[in-house]
Amino acid sequence: MTQIALIALALVAAVAAAVLARARAAAGARAATAETALTRSEERARVAEGRLARAEQQLREAQENVRRAVEDARRVEGLARAAEDASRAAHDAARAAEDAARDTAQQGAAAAARAEEADRRAAAAEARTAALFAEIGHLAQERVAATAVRLTHTNAPLVGPLDPPAVGPEAVRALQSVLDATATALADERERVDAAARAAMRGATSRIQTLLYQIQSLVQQLQHDNDDPRLLEVDFRNEVALRRIQTVAVLCEAWPGLARTDSPLAEVVVGALSRVPGYARIKVANHLREQRLAVVARAAEPIAVTIAELLANATAYSHPETDVPVTVQQGGRGALVIIDDSGIGMDEDQLRRARRLLAGPPDLLLTELGNPPKTGFAVVGKLARQYGFSCHIEPSPYGGMRTILRIPAGLVTVVDDGQPLSVLTPLPLRAGTGPAPAPTVAAVPPMRDADEQDGPQLADRHHQPGPHPAPAIHVVPDPGGEATVADPVTAANRADATVDSPADDGSGLPTRRRRRPLAAEEPEAPATPAVPAVPAAGRTPERAAAHWQALQRGTDSGRAAVARAASESGGRDGVATRGSGTTEHSDTTPGDTTPGRPTGDHTAGDHTAGDHTTGPTTVPTPLEGAEQ
Amino acid sequence: MTAVPRRRMVPAYLATGGRSRPGGEGFERLTVLFADRAEPPTGLETEHRRLWDLLRPGALTVVEAAAHLRLPVSATVFLAADLVEAGCLRARAPIPPAQQTDRSIVERLLVGLRALR
Repeated sequence: MTQIALIALALVAAVAAAVLARARAAAGARAATAETALTRSEERARVAEGRLARAEQQLREAQENVRRAVEDARRVEGLARAAEDASRAAHDAARAAEDAARDTAQQGAAAAARAEEADRRAAAAEARTAALFAEIGHLAQERVAATAVRLTHTNAPLVGPLDPPAVGPEAVRALQSVLDATATALADERERVDAAARAAMRGATSRIQTLLYQIQSLVQQLQHDNDDPRLLEVDFRNEVALRRIQTVAVLCEAWPGLARTDSPLAEVVVGALSRVPGYARIKVANHLREQRLAVVARAAEPIAVTIAELLANATAYSHPETDVPVTVQQGGRGALVIIDDSGIGMDEDQLRRARRLLAGPPDLLLTELGNPPKTGFAVVGKLARQYGFSCHIEPSPYGGMRTILRIPAGLVTVVDDGQPLSVLTPLPLRAGTGPAPAPTVAAVPPMRDADEQDGPQLADRHHQPGPHPAPAIHVVPDPGGEATVADPVTAANRADATVDSPADDGSGLPTRRRRRPLAAEEPEAPATPAVPAVPAAGRTPERAAAHWQALQRGTDSGRAAVARAASESGGRDGVATRGSGTTEHSDTTPGDTTPGRPTGDHTAGDHTAGDHTTGPTTVPTPLEGAEQ
Repeated sequence: MTAVPRRRMVPAYLATGGRSRPGGEGFERLTVLFADRAEPPTGLETEHRRLWDLLRPGALTVVEAAAHLRLPVSATVFLAADLVEAGCLRARAPIPPAQQTDRSIVERLLVGLRALR
């Protein structure tokens, strides 16, 4: 095998060597032809190379030219761009300028508007200021003055602002606050000044009041020592001055200035009346059921002052020819004093003012009372408030005004019988007229008749149609003949009268009461054996009368015996007795001229027993003796 | 009189009724007043009535009446003059001292009378 593979390999190697030697011969031939072709191509390449080099040169030049052109173009482009930029900038600037111009124009318009507005406002402000100045001037000149006047005169008109819309509500408020502050300050100042004035007046009046009281006492003493009627007038003038001073003092918050005891109301009324000029025109009708009805001590003088002021008003504001009727009556509780006048009356305004004053306003100033001050109602109001009575005023049926003073039960009391009433005090109509009928009249007429019996003058006065609101007193049914039983005092008097003596008329006058003690002493006169001694406690008017008569009889018989002896013997003694008796008696002997005075009828209760101690007892005998 | 001195409430001058002179002249302290009739007069004021009542049982001088009325004489004179004017009172002038009977004259008269026998 290996030998076959080697022979096959040596045959393949002999064939490959034969093919290689033919391919070398063909390659040598072709290399020679390729060499010739190479040499020609090299030639052409050399020519081409020359041409290329020229072309390359030309290209290079062209390239250079192009480069220059491009540069130029680029430069131009840059310029153009710059120009464009510049133009754009210019455009922008123009627009900006335009905007700015527009803005400016707008601002100008706004400024103009603002300026206009400012002008308008300035004008308005000026107008307001002018109005405000005018308002302030008005405030200073008119409104403050009006406010000040208003403080004193409540009816005075208040002045408002000139033109409220012109100055605005705030300014109006501010001005009003100025006014209010002014008014307050003014009121405070007035209060202070008034208080100072009151204090000064109080000091002055208290001194004057004291002096006037001293004058009064002196004049009273003088009146008892001297009989000159001018002293009475001095007293009256003094009393009027006293009332004036007292009024002012009370207004200045002084105490009315007089301590009194419980005082009978009738006396208080008459006392008040005495302080008024023209008191003669004042006619008091006393309708009190209880004559000793009194005003309690602390209110006595204030009520007297009050009534005096009311009466002064009534007399001052009515015709001097007219009467001023005053009715004093007892209400269910307390008492009433009613004063009428037929004067000029009051209009609505005055009445309102009077009522305001009578109510006793606590903040009353002296300066509010006018000039000259009208003090009457102010004083009444002040006292009424202080002491708790009340006073009312209304048109009177008499045509003028009627004032009604109501004294409440708390200020009313009843005085005891210890102090006799002044004789100048009017008696109650019932008691005053009751005793008029003589005891010989079988039936005492009822009181209404008795009133009418009092004569046309009185009847007219007390029974004028309508005005006297005292019918209740008149229609009280009187129990039979004992008309005044309801009145204890009068009843007591009457009881005394009936036992006193048949000759007495049963008058309810206090004078008889006063003389009783004198009568009681008489039994101590020379004892007469005929009359047995009685204990003092058992004394009665009858017994006293019996004693007195016995004494008288004894004296008579004794004198008769003496006279007989004298006439028989012609002795000197009897004649001398008669002579002296006549002398002593000659100026006090009404016994022979007065019909109602028989000797035997004189009794203890009778005033002659006490007053004419020597008259009736000693006188008749000598006279009779002389006549015989 | 009263234990407690008190200031007067009712002054005496009220009796004058506002006049400055009494209605009649010639009233003195010792002028004797006496009632003119037994019947009480009608239509009198209280104070006149009281004076009249005071005089009804018998005569009084002005000064006595004044004391009873607790009035000064001057005021009482006004009342008395009014009553005299009204005709319900009579007044008699007091005996002047010069006309009062002289005791010596009486004694001489007595002697003369005795001598008559």
